[in-house]
Amino acid sequence: MSVNSLLEQFITEGREFLQAISVSLMALEENPGDQELMTELFRHVHTLKGNSGLFDFPAMTRVLHAGEDLMDSVRHGRVQFNVSIADALLDAMDFVSHLLDEVDAAGSLDSSNDAQALALSHMLRALLPAATVAVVTSDALVAEPVPTQLSVRDRLCAIVPSVQAQLLKVSEDTRREMFLWAKKGQPLIWVHYQPEAECFFKGEDPFFLAMQTPGFSVAGIHNRTPWPALEQLDAYRCELQFGGISSASRAELEDYFRYVPEQVELIELPALLMVLPSGDENGGPVYEDFVVEALNLLERGDVAGLRRVTSSLLEFSSPALWLSSALRWLLVLLEEPPAELFVLRALIQSVQSLTPPDWLQFLQNHELSVGAVATEFGASAEETPPEDPILELAPARRKALQALLQAQGSILALPVDAGFEGRMRAATTTLLGCTKTVGLDSERDLLEQASSTAREQKNPAPMQAWVARFAHRCGIAMPATVVPNALQTLSPVAHPVTPVQAAAVVVPTEPVVVVVPTAAVPEPVPPPASTPVVPVVHEAAPPVALVAEVIAPSVVAPAPAESAALQDEHVAARRNSKPEDTHAQSAKTLRVDQVKIDRLMNLIGEMVVAKNALPYLANRAENQYGVRDLSREIKVQYSVINRIAEEMQDAIMQVRMMPVSFVFQRFPRLVRDLSNKLGKEVQLVLEGEETEADKNIVEALADPLIHIVRNSLDHGLELPEVRRANGKPEKGRLQISARQESDHVTIEITDDGRGIDATVIKRKAYQNGLISEERLEQISDQEAINLVFLPGFSTAETVTDLSGRGVGMDVVRNAIQKVGGTLQLNSVLGQGTRLRLSLPLSMAVTNVMIIESAQQIFGFPMDVVVETVRLPRQRIKYFKQHATTVLRDKVIPLFSLNTLLALDTPQVANDQNELALLVLRMGQEQVGLLVDAFRETTDIILKPLPGVLSGLHGYAGSALLGDGSVLMVLDHKELF
Amino acid sequence: MTMRYQNKTVILADVVGVEDAEELLGMLQKYPTAKLDMEACTHVHTACLQVLMAVKPAVKKWPEVPVLAHWLRLALKQ
Repeated sequence: MSVNSLLEQFITEGREFLQAISVSLMALEENPGDQELMTELFRHVHTLKGNSGLFDFPAMTRVLHAGEDLMDSVRHGRVQFNVSIADALLDAMDFVSHLLDEVDAAGSLDSSNDAQALALSHMLRALLPAATVAVVTSDALVAEPVPTQLSVRDRLCAIVPSVQAQLLKVSEDTRREMFLWAKKGQPLIWVHYQPEAECFFKGEDPFFLAMQTPGFSVAGIHNRTPWPALEQLDAYRCELQFGGISSASRAELEDYFRYVPEQVELIELPALLMVLPSGDENGGPVYEDFVVEALNLLERGDVAGLRRVTSSLLEFSSPALWLSSALRWLLVLLEEPPAELFVLRALIQSVQSLTPPDWLQFLQNHELSVGAVATEFGASAEETPPEDPILELAPARRKALQALLQAQGSILALPVDAGFEGRMRAATTTLLGCTKTVGLDSERDLLEQASSTAREQKNPAPMQAWVARFAHRCGIAMPATVVPNALQTLSPVAHPVTPVQAAAVVVPTEPVVVVVPTAAVPEPVPPPASTPVVPVVHEAAPPVALVAEVIAPSVVAPAPAESAALQDEHVAARRNSKPEDTHAQSAKTLRVDQVKIDRLMNLIGEMVVAKNALPYLANRAENQYGVRDLSREIKVQYSVINRIAEEMQDAIMQVRMMPVSFVFQRFPRLVRDLSNKLGKEVQLVLEGEETEADKNIVEALADPLIHIVRNSLDHGLELPEVRRANGKPEKGRLQISARQESDHVTIEITDDGRGIDATVIKRKAYQNGLISEERLEQISDQEAINLVFLPGFSTAETVTDLSGRGVGMDVVRNAIQKVGGTLQLNSVLGQGTRLRLSLPLSMAVTNVMIIESAQQIFGFPMDVVVETVRLPRQRIKYFKQHATTVLRDKVIPLFSLNTLLALDTPQVANDQNELALLVLRMGQEQVGLLVDAFRETTDIILKPLPGVLSGLHGYAGSALLGDGSVLMVLDHKELF
Repeated sequence: MTMRYQNKTVILADVVGVEDAEELLGMLQKYPTAKLDMEACTHVHTACLQVLMAVKPAVKKWPEVPVLAHWLRLALKQ
């Protein structure tokens, strides 16, 4: 099977699954406790997800996966099924359906869907109970759970130690490149890739994937658990994890890892973390002098001097030394624009201690400074307000100021009690003094504002925030303990943020290191890693098993009681399933392209025509050649061939037949959505869904029926309170039933709504200029109701998005008539409306009556022929100029076919001076058509007139007769 | 031939695929003192990589492909 036909099959089946899913969902809403339905629903979602995994549609698979997890939780009773779950799943399925359409149209999916897919899957996962997180999945089929309830910053802090250790594995040159890259405003992203244990069974090669990561410098390849003894080592369980730093953008990385988003964690790193001196720690005694001198130069702001001193020391030191490495970093930091003072100071001091600066500690303590660092190093340069420079203060002043700020910080940190107000005022006064001393008058207003807010709210946080900000501007490090709340207040990213939100977070003013979590660090959402076993099992199944499921979706139909044991069986079944197993289960139904059936249809049409030539041949044998026996034999043979051909035709028609449920099945959803929207309560009753009709007819039914149902819901059924007032049950009833009546399918749409008010219709029609005043007086109620089929008719006062635009019932009628159907509308005011559609079973073969007129033959579809009569000339009566006759106590208008066709010959009567009269049905009325002679009736394949001829008025089409002649079939509706 | 034992050396060549992992593990268990020659090796599947990481054989020759050599050195800490 080629990929293409596999894809086609997937699309077809996908739609069926979606339909089945929405049916099950709706049924579940009625019966939330039905285990069987639940299992079925789960199985549908599960299979669809599995199938989608065969193709390159990660967006689709992700949403389905989330849906599957949710259903699994529901199935196991961890979540109670409710309307919001149904809504969420329906939304997700709509999205998948949209994706299927896109795949169908374009053959692939645009990555623009990814964001929505992610949002939807998060929405679905948000409905999962928190407990699911704690559900420990069996052994290590899944990757180890990622800590969930961590804020972004916490997460950063948590990983930094291990990251820092691993970063040392990246060469200094690479790190320098990365650092300079980050300084240009590019993000540095730490990539932590932890493939799932079973990934080899899915054909993945994580090592290869990691190696090809864009802009990647590997830092670590580790095993998650210590290696077991070699005898116990399972080579096919992936134990590895990869870590490294990438200079690629987040979007690029997300795209690269789009198949394994839940196994990859992307964390934006502050560039400062790259600054890690490394090398030989022994050697060179002159550090002390250098540190003192360098710090002095730094305090004086002599960047050039500092650079010179550093360079000269570097020249004297062996490049392999730790010292040299630190000096090289110092030079990098001193490059234009130079880094923050305290960053430089920390690095210089580290030379003394020979330990790398603890940037993590640094980041934590300088919560606000981190922002500055990030700014300085380019992470968010544009976002820094230009009027916020760091003040250069003399060391003594800085020290004094630091003491003051710390004291105020401690005061602010005291618990809120009676003395709170006074303390706030005191602190405010002190701090105002500080602003004056350092000359930061611009801060005064902010301080006063913070102070009054703090006093109003009885919460010192605004003040603490201000202190933190102020300290930062003065280049003073405040201990984290002094400004605990301030950190939270000031840095929006320090709060737990849902991934979806966080992805969109643009920190407007705070130049805090923006660490946006990836999909792998969801907060309120359980991590995909710790989702239940089944989905993972599924993914682990080899592709062969998936194909098996494509072919026979109902192979694994677990009984509810078995569901617990199902997982294991599942695994076993999947592992064991071999290609040959699938053969036995596959061949029950056959999917065939419609084109092939159409071809069969055409061929049998030709066969019928060819077969019909035999009677002519028999006649010639007898009359022309006088061989009577041969003629009889030909006739015998003909009857045999005729029987077979008819059966064959019937069989082919059967193939084309499909149940009307194809159309009906979309109504539960439509009615549910619409009635919710309109605030109405509706009970939908579907009957006779198994009734079959030709595919074209059933398909042609879809749009008109939807329109009719909408009309019923919008105009027909009343609001619950109105219904109650009218003594009807609150729940309106909408019944759609189908049944077969001889060679027709009848579909009835009945509602018990307000019915159609004939007088309103009349008035509207008159107002819209659709009928004349004269007609307004004469028209009966039933006729008035039929006015709704007039083009441009609308009773609605306002146009809603459901109906009321006046393009409605006439479109419905045209669509029905196009496939040879009729429709009939009855309504009783206050009691309801019934619309009855009558459609032919099949359009393919038409039974026509052949008549002769002006020495030509014409066909009339048999279903419009009421009767054929021999009419004596004297029974024709003339009203004014118009010929009529009375037939069975009915006046029937008479038309001459020759006249209608503009043939210049009078109709020919037979020997007894009788004319051939064909009585035709025209809607509710009967019309008589005078012709020259009747011929036989025959089955023909009616072909629409091709090309230029298609514009010809009065003809329904043409057909080939058995003797090879062409029969023109007349369209009685266009004729008169 | 992607994998063979010769002269007390396990020689890996070309692409060592996922299907070779168990054989590689077996070979390294059978010849615990064998050295590893990966000079002609162009890629090692993750499954084989972790076998190498677990067994940690002494490496005689690293792959000629620099990127692969770099990654393998990092993984095997040699």
